[in-house]
Amino acid sequence: MTPKYSLGIDLGTSNSAVALTDLESDETEVVDVTQILGPNKIGEKPTLPSALYIPHPDEFPREACALPWAKDRDIEAVVGSFARDHGALVPDRLITSAKSWLSNPHIDPRQPVLPWKSSIKEAKLSAFECSRFYLEHLREGILYAEHREGRDWQIPECQVVLTVPASFDEVARTLTAEAAAAAGLGKVTLLEEPLAAFYAWTAQAGREWRSQVRPGDIVLVCDVGGGTADFSLIAVADREGDLELERISVGEHILLGGDNMDLALAYTLQAALEAEGKSIDHWQFLALVHAASKAKVTMLEDGAIAEAPIALPSRGSSLLAGTVSTKLDRATLEQVVLEGFFPLTAASDLPKEARRSGLQEFGLPYAADPVVSKHLARFLHRSLGNVQASEALSRLVGDKAQSAELLMPTAVLFNGGVFRAEPIRRRILDLLTSWNEEHPVRELEGFQPDLAVAKGASLYGRNRATGKGLRIKAGAARSYYIGLETSMPAVPGFKPRVKALCVVPQGMEEGSDLLIEGQEFGLITGQPTDFRFFSSEVRSGDTAGQILPDAESALEETSLLEVDLPSLDGFPPGEAVPVQINATVTELGTLELWMKHTKSDRRWKVEFRVRTE
Amino acid sequence: MRIVSILAAVVLVALTALALVPEVSAYHWELSVAAVAVAVVVLLALLASRSGTVETSAQAAAPAAAESAAFPEVANRADAEVVSFLATFQERGRLVDFLMDDITPYADAQVGAAARVVHEGCKAALAEHFGIRPVRDEREGARVEVPAGFAADDYRLTGAISGEAPFTGTLVHRGWRAEWVKLPRALKAADDRLPTIAPAEVDLK
Repeated sequence: MTPKYSLGIDLGTSNSAVALTDLESDETEVVDVTQILGPNKIGEKPTLPSALYIPHPDEFPREACALPWAKDRDIEAVVGSFARDHGALVPDRLITSAKSWLSNPHIDPRQPVLPWKSSIKEAKLSAFECSRFYLEHLREGILYAEHREGRDWQIPECQVVLTVPASFDEVARTLTAEAAAAAGLGKVTLLEEPLAAFYAWTAQAGREWRSQVRPGDIVLVCDVGGGTADFSLIAVADREGDLELERISVGEHILLGGDNMDLALAYTLQAALEAEGKSIDHWQFLALVHAASKAKVTMLEDGAIAEAPIALPSRGSSLLAGTVSTKLDRATLEQVVLEGFFPLTAASDLPKEARRSGLQEFGLPYAADPVVSKHLARFLHRSLGNVQASEALSRLVGDKAQSAELLMPTAVLFNGGVFRAEPIRRRILDLLTSWNEEHPVRELEGFQPDLAVAKGASLYGRNRATGKGLRIKAGAARSYYIGLETSMPAVPGFKPRVKALCVVPQGMEEGSDLLIEGQEFGLITGQPTDFRFFSSEVRSGDTAGQILPDAESALEETSLLEVDLPSLDGFPPGEAVPVQINATVTELGTLELWMKHTKSDRRWKVEFRVRTE
Repeated sequence: MRIVSILAAVVLVALTALALVPEVSAYHWELSVAAVAVAVVVLLALLASRSGTVETSAQAAAPAAAESAAFPEVANRADAEVVSFLATFQERGRLVDFLMDDITPYADAQVGAAARVVHEGCKAALAEHFGIRPVRDEREGARVEVPAGFAADDYRLTGAISGEAPFTGTLVHRGWRAEWVKLPRALKAADDRLPTIAPAEVDLK
């Protein structure tokens, strides 16, 4: 069926949003989401906070939190505004940042371990289940809100595009797509968030956008949201007089964002209050974080404001007696936010690695170094390495961008709430300029702070459905490898090296298929076989079938692969079946690995399994 | 419902009177916003008592029928809605705490700090639930024309009223009107008691 709408879903770490493009009228709008706003209170908001609250059975009457589309179901969890606000005071029952748990290499995203380290008696949830909950709520919540407004459409009429961080590896991407299917969204197309921001920008700038970029440009998409920082580079080239765009590098998953800045401000203000002999409780501290965040935005948007007053009510009913007042002054703000997170560091100044103690607890891998400038330097260093690994990419990017110790962008597209503040955008540009021997790096004009990713996803869906409009060449963001155990005599205290066979080269395009010739594996029928699976975002030069001598030092281990061959006609049990690896990147942007029988067309799908330690 | 209107009207009078006290002139803006908020409560209470259940059933019409089918409406729903609305201002801007407190013993600085809490929260709630615009965009003090056929509730004419519209005069107050209202809805029908304005909070260790 030809779709009538394109639905773009931004499943964010802290907030989610949905945009809808009507393919006939070509209009894109953010769609409100119906959600619980308080006990016995329901309404619509343009975003759904990605927060999930597991209520105590006696906490609320059942009908006070029952969604109109799920009246008969048990209340297992509450999602959205109320979950976030109420959960802040009952942290044991609140799940946030579930998305970052999806890409946590140490915890199986299908294991019910959230809320992390909580001792509640109710059933816990897995990161996968949380994502499914959010997506299901988004699906039902937008259909309900639209229905109330007299607009009726159904998911099967839509081309659905779901965004994921560029830093997500294949396991996290596959889990997200599966969660969407389980939430009733069908087969969704995946799109990297920075690319979605770029599509939104081209629509916002209209025909103008082509005059803002030129061949030879390297655009840094710099996306710092509430909880995460995500970077990508897009190269602009000339192809027979037309602009061609290609995403050439993606960053790592960095858990650092605006929330860290608000917390830092709140701690500073709390320390000042304590120095005056005024102590505040946890509830007031939460109010302080919120107030500091608002003051930060107001002051960074208007340079004329020297200080912002902050009043913190006490929790008791006497507002007049209990309110504590303080203020945020400009010097403190600049010291904490600009100098703390975005200082003008040198290009060679990279983030401090976290010191790992022997008995590490596997929570979320928060960035150990809060300095965004250094994370950006690291990204541009790695990008240079990635580009230089392949001749084609190196040629595309040109010598000038590679002349420094990092890959130098020529323009920046900002995204994320943090960059609402012009001084922070200017600081990033100044930082890049200082790394570029004082040659200015420009900002692509038309920054839209609100829900650009959802809108961009919906516009991308439109382009896919109609076959018209811009497509940024992307393909697989990483290369993928299967570990090959080397056969050698056992030596005590010496672990044999694991070689790596490249099965998916970086940039492998959507809708393409590869058979790795020359490397056969023997699979035994009737018993599952495991392979180790590795990836890298900085080895653009590796080709399919290439073998690297030492997987563990050159690559990151992603997951385990498991393939289970049923008993087959023609193969006696216990006998090895010769297979080759067959990799497919689907039209929807997910990676599939198959084991193909060398002598027939039969093939068996390989499943990703997260390593658990 | 009449009781809610009377109570709110009394509060409104108190707030307006407070605005006249010279010592609190520094918080004039905060008080005005609080006064507008309470005035809205009065307005809603009046509307609710005038049109009773007709108003709410019209509002909850067609698409929301799914909700009301499972939770049938009962007579005091309008009262319940006004109380939940008050609860919103309490939750966001501590309005009821502010008004129920005795203001006499506190210094202006302390009243000011509390007024900031009320102002910030109630303003955010107001902006979220009402599209509020001035009736006239001109600056106060300007000469304005009141067109012929003006809506009587948009204007209050004072001074020497004679002849026929259009009238010309000095704009004393810009006026406010709500262009849209977007209130949260209740999920379950009110039972025989009114909803709570603010729950008692108990912290469990």
